[in-house]
Amino acid sequence: MLVGQASVIARKDLVIEVRGRHALGTLLPFAATVLIAFGFAFGPGRDVLDRVAPGLLWMAVLFSAVIASRRAYQVETEDGALEGLLLAPIDKAAVFLGKAAAVTLELLALVLAVLVLVVLLFDLSVQDPLLMVAAFVLGVVGLAAVGSLFGVVAESARTREAIFPMLVLPLVAPVLIAGVRATDLAAAGRSSEVLSWLGLLAAFDVVFLSVGVLVFGYLLED
Amino acid sequence: MTRLFGASPALVRVDLSIRRGEAVVLRGPNGAGKSTLLRVVATALSSTYGGGSVLGFDLATEREEIRRRCELLTHRTRLYEELTARENLELFVRLLGLPAARVDDALERVALADAAGERVRAFSAGMRQKVAVARALVRDPELLLLDEPTTGLDDAARTVVERLVLDAAAAGHTVMIATHHPVAPELGARVVTMRDGAVEAAG
Repeated sequence: MLVGQASVIARKDLVIEVRGRHALGTLLPFAATVLIAFGFAFGPGRDVLDRVAPGLLWMAVLFSAVIASRRAYQVETEDGALEGLLLAPIDKAAVFLGKAAAVTLELLALVLAVLVLVVLLFDLSVQDPLLMVAAFVLGVVGLAAVGSLFGVVAESARTREAIFPMLVLPLVAPVLIAGVRATDLAAAGRSSEVLSWLGLLAAFDVVFLSVGVLVFGYLLED
Repeated sequence: MTRLFGASPALVRVDLSIRRGEAVVLRGPNGAGKSTLLRVVATALSSTYGGGSVLGFDLATEREEIRRRCELLTHRTRLYEELTARENLELFVRLLGLPAARVDDALERVALADAAGERVRAFSAGMRQKVAVARALVRDPELLLLDEPTTGLDDAARTVVERLVLDAAAAGHTVMIATHHPVAPELGARVVTMRDGAVEAAG
């Protein structure tokens, strides 16, 4: 029941995103601009760009995650739809999981596009692509879980546009650190060292998905 | 029950009983507490002090049971603009596990069958309210709560809302309406007057 309802919510969010062309129209240009701006800021030296490429990649994904999570709740408040979900006799955890799943899929599509950009712009070579993919999947799930959980908290605030990043960014610092380290190590082919960072990302996902399932209903209530 | 917003009272010691199957019209000036009362009954808000029961279920502890049986219609239609009218209804049919055939039936009843495949973004206020009415028809709630549901609607859309109310009452469902407009006499509604958050006259 929970999974079925969550998939209905996720499908709805994805249809709205695709039709609104928000992911393609906003997130991708934003992420590309961030990467190019950082590229200019660090200058043409290949050594520097090689070193900072994983960090730039994750910064672009992180900022995009903030925008995507905010957007996921904006569509709910345009005509009071979030109240409709509150008053529907469904497991409210399904709303959280559905939104997190939709944001995860949007961000993974974005990561794919951004990875291509980074490889082209910064000449990033990846020795262990499988572990890098694992790092992005685990990291993006964590970002989506935190964004979907705190999106509903920020929704009740008058200054939600300012409060949301302030709530989310400090909390996702472990994802940023572990993601950058795992990406860096996977790119360098040091596969045995990646696993501990993947473990940290997986633990982060479990914690925030569990917290979201448990408390989202309370946060959604009056 | 009493409901405060910060320090401001929106409902003040409201004590009101409504029988199952009864139709009640809430009257009163703006700020009288009509909308807040409907939202508390619908479990969209909770009371600050006191409590009550709706359809035999406690407002504080059995909210999901009440939500299963209740629909709140307001001037905010709670629709997704990028979805079509049909998709907006199908969303709730799927979430609630209701028969899919109810969607077409509901769209026919509000005269929106021809526009079912169009995105709500392109709809007028009246058409949006018709979709919201269709959503209520899909659910067939035991308790229908309406908060100024016909404000800003043309005659055709208003008729659709009034038909919903009359059909619900005829089916023995309980109806509460907050409105400044006249309601159909055949509804046989009891008039409850509110002022400054309190019930002034219970009819």
